[in-house]
Amino acid sequence: MTETPPGAIRDSRELVRAHLAGAEVDRLPVMPITMMFAARVAGIPYADYCRDASQLARAQALVAERFGFDHVSCISDPTREAGDLGAAIEWFTDQPPAIDETNALLAEPRDLARLRAADPRGGGRMTDRLRAAELLRAGAGSSRIVEGWVEGPIAEAADLRGINSLMLDFYDDPAFVEDLFDFATQMAMAFAAAQVEAGVDIVGIGDAAASLVGPSIYEELVWPHEKRLVDHIHGLGALVRLHICGNTRRSVGAMARLGADIVDLDSLVPLDSARADAGPDQVLLGNLNPVTELMASTPAAIEGLFAERHRQVGPRYVVGAGCEVPAATPPENVDALVAFARTTRP
Amino acid sequence: MSDLAGLRAAIVAGDQVTAVREAQAALGRGTDPQTILDAMTQALDVVGDRFQCGELFVPEMLISARAMKGSLAVLEPVLAASGIRPEHRAVIGSVNGDVHDIGKNLVAMMWRGASFEVIDIGVNVAPKRFIEAAREHAADLIGISALLSTTMLNMKPTIAAIRAAELGDVKVIVGGAPVTAEFASSIGADGFAPDAAAAVEVARAVVGSRRDGAGPR
Repeated sequence: MTETPPGAIRDSRELVRAHLAGAEVDRLPVMPITMMFAARVAGIPYADYCRDASQLARAQALVAERFGFDHVSCISDPTREAGDLGAAIEWFTDQPPAIDETNALLAEPRDLARLRAADPRGGGRMTDRLRAAELLRAGAGSSRIVEGWVEGPIAEAADLRGINSLMLDFYDDPAFVEDLFDFATQMAMAFAAAQVEAGVDIVGIGDAAASLVGPSIYEELVWPHEKRLVDHIHGLGALVRLHICGNTRRSVGAMARLGADIVDLDSLVPLDSARADAGPDQVLLGNLNPVTELMASTPAAIEGLFAERHRQVGPRYVVGAGCEVPAATPPENVDALVAFARTTRP
Repeated sequence: MSDLAGLRAAIVAGDQVTAVREAQAALGRGTDPQTILDAMTQALDVVGDRFQCGELFVPEMLISARAMKGSLAVLEPVLAASGIRPEHRAVIGSVNGDVHDIGKNLVAMMWRGASFEVIDIGVNVAPKRFIEAAREHAADLIGISALLSTTMLNMKPTIAAIRAAELGDVKVIVGGAPVTAEFASSIGADGFAPDAAAAVEVARAVVGSRRDGAGPR
């Protein structure tokens, strides 16, 4: 453990680093995912937030300053990698772009042999994320953790193959799944490396589709690739945040064995059992229901909900919702989320 | 019923080839088609129960639903010739602005397995399209899905439009990752399904409460 006297911590960046390293700090870190919420606060249509690094960086700086978050993030949507590979993307004015699964890039497994990894610096939307990382590092991220983001192996595989097809592939063609995960992981490793070079402190791995499979598929097919990605990012000198939306209750133990510095848990996961499964040292983040317990709640209720979550998780905790803060969340509710962290010792 | 144990087991295991073969064999033995259908529905109920218990997950649900679909295709001509029709008719789609479909697909498969006729009208479905489809197919039930907390909000005007269209006593069930029972109630839905397996029970409850098992209009 690093021995960092609480008084020596100068800013959010040092606070988060110290907490994740197991040092004593005087309050809990707060790192909620804000994407559409940030765009709304900044008055930016979400399509612009996703397409223009300067808009994303401006909005992230704005919410981090306004609400007092300990980080700023490059996360926006799951289609950057797939779009740069040529996948059909459907765009909306004010919500995240989505993969057009009816025109999946890998309509047939054999199509994978023709696919070549996209260059993160090739001028596409991955490059736009690198620019966001640079802007954040130079601006609001000078005193905060700057978070990059990559799609994890199963999430990216689902983006390329189509989620419905991939779920059947686990039984119909596991060898193809293995090859596809390998492709996705290698691309994520390259993208993570470029983001670390651009200045991010931590790389988030979004692997939402992992919550759709049970522990046997997760541990046998998904976990080894996530582990390779986590180890690679650590080798680059960056921290890792694992974010799997949905009910991961039965896979929490395996997720903790990945060695990620933060494991996010969604609202469907009971935190007391998650702590037991993850062991005492894993830092956990979560897990208010973004809609019912954050957006549609009250500041007083939110404080009580976080106090209960903190009691269940214990000191190795970071404050955040179970998933993205919804765009329509009242600002006073986000203030309450931050106030809990800023007034609570780990 | 023991001669249908293999069919049930194949559907539960997601073994489409065996399920189709067992369905063909059962018909070949002269088993009553309604009895075969009931066995298939029971098998998918088992899958749904195991899903809700956390013993099975989405891939296993999908391969079981595929096995069900394959064996149902064997049975359907015989059912039709016998005058046996699905008990209820449902229209399902992802709400306006939402292009995600796996949840909606799972519900459609489970409903089909539960002997509902299902008209899947896809993703990003405008209120007008829900109304047109429900009217065209004389549906008992409309299922609306949303994956995002943003698109979830489009369910309210969709339900309002359905009510305003005066389709009769058509029931509306909503579901999807961010949707809660409280939200469903607040927007005037007749039912809320937290997952695809629950969607069967909820559908049976809301439609059955009105129709008492009668066939489609």
